[in-house]
Amino acid sequence: MVCLPMANPYLVVEHLTKVYERGQVLALRDLSFTVDKGEFLVVIGLSGSGKSTLLRCINRLIEPTKGKIWLDGGEVTRLSQARMRRVRRKIGMIFQQFNLVDRSTAIANVLTGRLGYLPGWRALLGWFPEEDREKALASLERVGLRDKAYVRVDQLSGGQRQRVGIARALMQEPELLLADEPVSALDPATSHSIMQYLEQMNKEDGVTVIASLHFLSLARRYGTRIIALKDGQLVFDGSPQAIDNVKFKEIYGEDAEEVEVR
Amino acid sequence: MNGGSAAVGSASAGRGVALSRRALSFALDWMTWGYVAYCVMYLLNYYWYTVHVDWWGTLTLPTWGWPVVILATLELAVGCRSFGRSLGQRAIGAEFQDREGGRITIGRRLTRILLWHISVPLFAIGFWRGEDPWHDRVVGVSLRPISPDPERPGRRALATQWGILALFLGALTLWVGWLIIGINFQVLIRRAPQAGRIWGEMLRPDFRYFTTPDPVFSLRSQSYSILDLAVVTVFMALMATILGAAIAFPLSFFGARNVMGFSPVGWAVYGIVRGFFNVFRSIETIIWGSIFAVWVGYGTTLAGILALTVHTIAALGKLYSEQVEGVSPGPLEAVWAVGGSRVQVVRHAVIPQVLPSFWAFTLYRWDINVRMSTVIALVGGGGIGDMLFYYKNQGDWPKVGAVVIVIVAIVWAMDYISGWLRERIA
Ligand SMILES: Nc1ncnc2c1ncn2[C@@H]1O[C@H](COP(=O)(O)OP(=O)(O)OP(=O)(O)O)[C@@H](O)[C@H]1O
Ligand SMILES: [Mg+2]
Repeated sequence: MVCLPMANPYLVVEHLTKVYERGQVLALRDLSFTVDKGEFLVVIGLSGSGKSTLLRCINRLIEPTKGKIWLDGGEVTRLSQARMRRVRRKIGMIFQQFNLVDRSTAIANVLTGRLGYLPGWRALLGWFPEEDREKALASLERVGLRDKAYVRVDQLSGGQRQRVGIARALMQEPELLLADEPVSALDPATSHSIMQYLEQMNKEDGVTVIASLHFLSLARRYGTRIIALKDGQLVFDGSPQAIDNVKFKEIYGEDAEEVEVR
Repeated sequence: MNGGSAAVGSASAGRGVALSRRALSFALDWMTWGYVAYCVMYLLNYYWYTVHVDWWGTLTLPTWGWPVVILATLELAVGCRSFGRSLGQRAIGAEFQDREGGRITIGRRLTRILLWHISVPLFAIGFWRGEDPWHDRVVGVSLRPISPDPERPGRRALATQWGILALFLGALTLWVGWLIIGINFQVLIRRAPQAGRIWGEMLRPDFRYFTTPDPVFSLRSQSYSILDLAVVTVFMALMATILGAAIAFPLSFFGARNVMGFSPVGWAVYGIVRGFFNVFRSIETIIWGSIFAVWVGYGTTLAGILALTVHTIAALGKLYSEQVEGVSPGPLEAVWAVGGSRVQVVRHAVIPQVLPSFWAFTLYRWDINVRMSTVIALVGGGGIGDMLFYYKNQGDWPKVGAVVIVIVAIVWAMDYISGWLRERIA
């Protein structure tokens, strides 16, 4: 019934359009692309080009106005809210502003990664099974924050917070990871350490990663493929090496200078 | 920020304010001048009897008087608006600006007033078409958000005039207000000896019935001591606060925009819950007390508790809801993203954020309930107030003194406890 173009890519985005009613903004215009399993796709583009909107349309935190999205052969844009919640369990997400509950402990935040699997009454009481707690500690261990497990998040640094965010995503054992500007709030050195965790998830756990980044140098370094947005339109789709100076000016505008993040 | 994304609608930099805001500011101006007119007429009545105002402040004008007042205030409003001396425009943060950015001469402002009289009655808002009404476009002005430039021409003069206007309105209010409430200081002094005697008796409090029931005072053929009713009063306040908070807590999420979402059902539930909070909150505890006293029995503690509880639910519910609406949306988004349900979003993203302020509000409400429970007996709500008003009616001032001291002690002690708890939690 579902007719897929080509040989079953992991994610298919077709004619995706998003209009924000409020402000009448055309944020995405007729986007089409595919992502294969195991890819590390980087989305670049100027501020306001629609990167966040695109990522949130994939897990339907934002409802697309038009277009279709298939994930692993199933059309997510057709699912009911209840079914969509089940799909989201396997889609990890990390955010520019971390989106942690500041006054809760690191482990409490990490545990919320399991919420999709918890029966209603247990979630209501906040009773996570013992194996979830162990898993949470293991996830924190993996991002090097085992000793901060019971520290309130508002006492952690930006880089540590983002690692808590990654640990929360690890709890989901995701197949797909959406990272919306995961390092924009961090300094260059910390940025690299965070990106390396994402790279590790991609290479070792086989998680497909879609990350939006501001810096082309980071995109080149970590992406296996890059797509570029401009005013909500797809203006580039190809390998990191294919972005030359001309392409760069096309994406970022005539006056742009490339900045390196080392 | 808005980078390169395309806006579908046109959005020029200096856009006139929306019609609804404009109408609001106009209404404010008209009302202000209406108020000034009322004050002036009140003064005319008071000093020269040229306008009739009866003793409770209602104006009686000849039939032709009303149209005159209405038109005069309208003219004043329009005039002031044209000259930019308008409270209403200030309130919405807008001012008239030249469409080309130049100065607006007095002649153009006067022309605008004249044209307004043609435009508004004849064409109403049909001539609006776009951003500015016809009379504005002809004169070349536009009502726009106040420019933040501190150096813009005429700014200082305007500020002075604003000060004078505010001072004028304030002085007028004080003057008329003084006449309306008619304070009579002579009574205060003439009756001082009598009050002094009562004070003297109260200052020799009669504590004989602090623990032993007073045979003179009985409720439903049962005598009580002061301590008995003090305990009842404290528990009335405590139960009302706990019950009220327990009911307001779950309700408050239904009265929060960000939790309910934007579906029609969400809007409906939100509207009903918020409406309930607002209506029930605006009916004071004392009024609820008289309602429940009729319902469940005059002078019963139940009536008092119900009154306190109902008002607590509404007042706390509103405070809680506003707190819920103020949470940072990031954690909510994160719980949605991992596949959480609405209930889980509330439990794991909203509640951790709002709990401390919920505690603070609840303790604050506890203070209010303690004070209210000492007087709710006035309308038949039971508690220590029953004793107070009974002794007062008997003219038994030493006993009144004892009860007042106990009430002060209760309020002070509970204040101290809630303050201590607040410190612990914050
Ligand atoms: N909730 C919203 N309502 C209305 N317009 C919105 C909303 N969210 C985003 N937009 C608009 O949609 C466009 C794309 O926004 P988006 O956040 O996707 O861009 P972005 O590429 O992520 O930018 P940034 O790098 O600044 O995060 C922008 O013009 C923005 O103003
Ligand atoms: Mg963004």
